[in-house]
Amino acid sequence: MQERLNEIQNQAKGDLAKAESLEEVETIKTRYLGRKGGVITEIIKAIPGLSPEQRSSTGKSANILKNEIGKWIEEKKDGFDTSAKASLTLPSFDLSLPGEHKPYGRKHPLTQTIDEIKGIFKKLCFDIEYGPEVEHEYYNFDALNIPADHPSREDFDTFYLGNKRLLRSQTSTVQIRVMEKTKPPIRMIAPGKVFRPDTVDARHASMFHQIEGLMVDEGVSFSDLKYVLTLFAKSYFGQDIKMRFRPSFFPFTEPSAEIDISCSLCKGKGCSVCSQSGWVEVLGAGMVDPNVFDTVGYDSKKYTGFAFGMGVERLTMLKYGIDNIRLFFENDLRFLSQF
Amino acid sequence: MKISYNWLKDYCKYDLSVEELAESLTNAGLVVDTVNPVEDDFCLEVEVTSNRPDCLGFIGVAREVAAIVRGKLDIPDVSYDDTNGGNINDITGVTIEDNELCQRYTARIIKDVKIGPSPEWLQRKISSVGLRPVNNIVDITNYVLMESGQPLHAFDSDKLSDGKIIVRRAKKGETMEAIDGSKCTLSDEMLVIADSQKPVAIAGIMGGKETEVSDATRNILLESAFFDPRSVRRTSRKLGLMSDSSYRFERRVDPECVDWASRRAAKMILEIAGGQAAEGVIDQNYLEDNKVSVTLKMSRLDGLLGLQVEKDTAKEILEHLQFRISAETKDGFSVDVPSFRGDVYREIDLIEEVARIHGYDKIPVKSSIGVKLTQDNQFDKITEKTKNVISGLGFNEVITDSIVGDSQNRHGTIWSETGSLKILNPIRQDEDLLRKALVHNLLRVKKHNQNYGVEKTDIYELSKVYLPKGDDQLPEEKECLCILGEEGYLALKGVIEAILCHLNIADSLESVHFDFGLFSSDKSAELRLGDSVLGFIGELSREVISDYDFRSKPCVAELDFDILIDKTNLESSYRKIPSFPVVTRDFAVVSDEAVTWADIKGCIESLKIDYVDDIEFFDVYRGKQIEKGRKSIAFRIIFRADDKTLKSEEVDILQEKILVNLNNSLGVNLRA
Repeated sequence: MQERLNEIQNQAKGDLAKAESLEEVETIKTRYLGRKGGVITEIIKAIPGLSPEQRSSTGKSANILKNEIGKWIEEKKDGFDTSAKASLTLPSFDLSLPGEHKPYGRKHPLTQTIDEIKGIFKKLCFDIEYGPEVEHEYYNFDALNIPADHPSREDFDTFYLGNKRLLRSQTSTVQIRVMEKTKPPIRMIAPGKVFRPDTVDARHASMFHQIEGLMVDEGVSFSDLKYVLTLFAKSYFGQDIKMRFRPSFFPFTEPSAEIDISCSLCKGKGCSVCSQSGWVEVLGAGMVDPNVFDTVGYDSKKYTGFAFGMGVERLTMLKYGIDNIRLFFENDLRFLSQF
Repeated sequence: MKISYNWLKDYCKYDLSVEELAESLTNAGLVVDTVNPVEDDFCLEVEVTSNRPDCLGFIGVAREVAAIVRGKLDIPDVSYDDTNGGNINDITGVTIEDNELCQRYTARIIKDVKIGPSPEWLQRKISSVGLRPVNNIVDITNYVLMESGQPLHAFDSDKLSDGKIIVRRAKKGETMEAIDGSKCTLSDEMLVIADSQKPVAIAGIMGGKETEVSDATRNILLESAFFDPRSVRRTSRKLGLMSDSSYRFERRVDPECVDWASRRAAKMILEIAGGQAAEGVIDQNYLEDNKVSVTLKMSRLDGLLGLQVEKDTAKEILEHLQFRISAETKDGFSVDVPSFRGDVYREIDLIEEVARIHGYDKIPVKSSIGVKLTQDNQFDKITEKTKNVISGLGFNEVITDSIVGDSQNRHGTIWSETGSLKILNPIRQDEDLLRKALVHNLLRVKKHNQNYGVEKTDIYELSKVYLPKGDDQLPEEKECLCILGEEGYLALKGVIEAILCHLNIADSLESVHFDFGLFSSDKSAELRLGDSVLGFIGELSREVISDYDFRSKPCVAELDFDILIDKTNLESSYRKIPSFPVVTRDFAVVSDEAVTWADIKGCIESLKIDYVDDIEFFDVYRGKQIEKGRKSIAFRIIFRADDKTLKSEEVDILQEKILVNLNNSLGVNLRA
């Protein structure tokens, strides 16, 4: 019997040595130690039928062998565990490789600014309106209470096309066009291109974008103007900005105002962007001049309103710290892809 | 305009630091741009809006300060002794030939002056606002200009031929050398001051060198006038000659200050340069005396500002601004407007005066505007959808200039044969047209990027082009969508198809070959949607590519966006997801070159087989295994029924029907 046990011992050793996976080890375990049909188990089960002297020695040897094989199996298993762990640390895939990119196009930064501003005013129930870029002098000047001898009408401030046609120099033209076709109440903004024969430099372009705004109803007051434009400026520039409304002059508003916000770059301390003043101008506004209402046939005793205008390039430059307006129209993809 | 902090105190004894002064002026509408220390003084650069020429002098600014601090305005005394110089009418005379361009002209004579440097206090004052001291007479005229805003000119009266002044239009081609040395050639719409021989000054702009005050001058003719603002502005621009005088005349001087300033200067000349003033003044005055009176209702003011202002506060402010209260009622009062405030003639103008001095900051930020129904903006919705699709496919939006050069016509026109609208006063002579298409601008953007090393330029623009409609009409402003792609013709066509799909456009896109200068001969098409021409698509021709020196072969499409808007259907409804599986069959067929994909697809569709769910193109093959002049086309047909699972045998029958039909109508065979 001892021979048989020795033979089993060698076989088990050989089997385990050849085993290459945990699954194989488990199979070997079942083969030798399995409760049903395991080689060792069967021998132990058969012990009661042996002669008494064989019983004792075989029992002892079989138990020793059972424990021994059990130990080998555990050792073999441990070996797999560590070699599995070790193989995990080997670089089979470089996780630091960059992701693959599908091209993603962007809207022009000026479009993004216009969209954002439209979004803010839509929340305040303003409609979006558009008007022609080539205009009659009437809409660009006369109807806006700009007298015939006003400097802005001269050649160096407006592009002319002949026969009283021009490239609009302000989106205020849309105020008139909207009031001509609509009765109050009106709440609208009008984004669009405007043109001026400025010599092109870092701050001036001959074509740029404005957004005009208009609100007309009974009882609209200057405090409504302050309210709406404060909501706008805080939404666009941030809740923490300070604002300053100061008197100014536009022919089509009276009283008129220019609106400054605290310089976001220096937090009002003074820097080159705000010319050391701590303030940057962002909006022109005012109460609609009664002459404008008279022109479009509104009763200026019954209705009041306010109008405002802003430069899209300027707001975009302030927001991103862009120092040259020409970048918007050169359309260098290295610029456009930053927004 | 430059203001000296110390000098300003001559006219209003304010108790404000320079920072406080700057802030107060800014809050009242006179923006102080910069404050610079000058010795023991400060120079403030004040921005004066075009409606407020009265603030182009110290007294005008002091008037604002007086209103802000409710202080007293001190206006200097201008009386002087004119009993020793003889009667002015015996000495000189003034003839105004054009009283539209010169509405008032005054002359005073001061004899036997002693020319020399100004006293130190005077030199310091004019230096503090950036003027260079010249001699006592010139310095005094500059001083009074700065003080009152009324420009003055002193002639050496002995150098005037016949000693008399004629205000007339220049003769065409007449010349004059100005004080600054510039030689001016004049034209007949310009107003000049002349003696009997020649022009001695360009009215309101600059005096002539010949008659200027020099060390040898003894007798002075002092001019103070009102010239037509528009005329001064035009002449100044035309000659490229600007001065402190022209700046003020252009903005309109105070008609009543013309004589005051002349007296003030005469008085100072007598005090500083000695001499005797001739008695009286020559004053040719054609200005209409129109006194303006305006009534203000406090209820109107309160309603418009959204702020209650006390009537006394409003009165006090206006009185400090030198409006005279002429009548008063329970709810308001009337004022006489001073001559220097041509900008004030209505109630609303008075409201602004009160508001700006009272302070815009006192107006509350509050409102009860509530909500309102807004209009649906189709254009914005469709634009946004379109841009989202194109951007999502990797294209960047560009914005280019509407004003272009002639090169836009170099390779043919797209939307209109009519000549472009022309700008009469362009900045650059070679860029004076309004674009009639976007494509050329996109090519320029591509070129710019290529120059800076960006090789792949997938870009688009959605903007207007301007199509002329007649000399006195506004042009048609057509909204166009131009796309430039670097991935080939079919990839670009795919972008357009994606847009059509997202806009839920029912019409199918048709491509019709179209010869077009920009595009290569084979890949060039007009795109149609139903009966409408949607636009053009093509691969750039070899000539265009070499013209721009492109290193790639871009494809371009330009579409009429208005057509897209017209065809868009924003109301889409849900379609049930099919419950039964599809059966797919792949085909490879051989056809003549003349047979197009559209023919094959059309042929299959013409059978109107309900179970044909979709027809997908794979590819076209030409090569060894296909005989010359023919091609192999591979595609897949997807069969599906709404109410059952199709059996293979059913599809076999349909497939056979399709192949037979392809063969009969187009001579197309299944590839062996």
